[in-house]
Amino acid sequence: MNSLSCSSSRFGELEFTAEDVVTVPRGLLGFPDSREYVVIEHREGSPFRWLQSTTEPALAFLVVDPATYVPDYAPDMPDDAANQLQVDNETTILVYTIVTIPAGHPEEMTLNLAGPVVINCDRQLAFQVVLQDERYPVKYKAIPAKQESAAA
Amino acid sequence: MLVLTRKVNQSIIIADGTEVVEVVVLDVRGEQVRLGIKASRNVAVHRKEIYEQIQTANEQASQTSPSDIPE
Repeated sequence: MNSLSCSSSRFGELEFTAEDVVTVPRGLLGFPDSREYVVIEHREGSPFRWLQSTTEPALAFLVVDPATYVPDYAPDMPDDAANQLQVDNETTILVYTIVTIPAGHPEEMTLNLAGPVVINCDRQLAFQVVLQDERYPVKYKAIPAKQESAAA
Repeated sequence: MLVLTRKVNQSIIIADGTEVVEVVVLDVRGEQVRLGIKASRNVAVHRKEIYEQIQTANEQASQTSPSDIPE
């Protein structure tokens, strides 16, 4: 497999293979120009991954399998998304939720459950799905504020 | 912005290449307007508020630094 590479502001020069690349035909919302991302492990054994843009070194999104924090997460995929992703019943699908961590405040980590990134693994295609489901907020607080209440 | 006046059951057509979207005014009650949207399954239709919220969330997410990730 040919080795590919790109530069990134967070991880330096990255080398990867075509298997690690996903194409996002419409881009992620707000970032329509970046359509190709490489999926990298945050650390061995970590549930976190990065979607690093192969064309914009500073653009990367931290993602995680939503089941890590929300075991019963099971949104219905809208028709337009299923169609764009070219999925059928045989397709292997991977769902990631985008993680936001305010600088210096890991305890305030939120997950975007309303806009999951769904990947068709067979075609290496990805799509950010917009859900209309009140169970799934844009900013789901991943870490309950236990320590604060214990201290109070 | 293009402004068009429509009555109930009238529609507008938005066409882009082979993609044709029809928006029908179904009902008007006071301040609420019900719209019907006919489009192919390729076309994503969103309420603007949620679309914008996800856009903003993506912008904030893109600032996340590896050093802040909990283990």
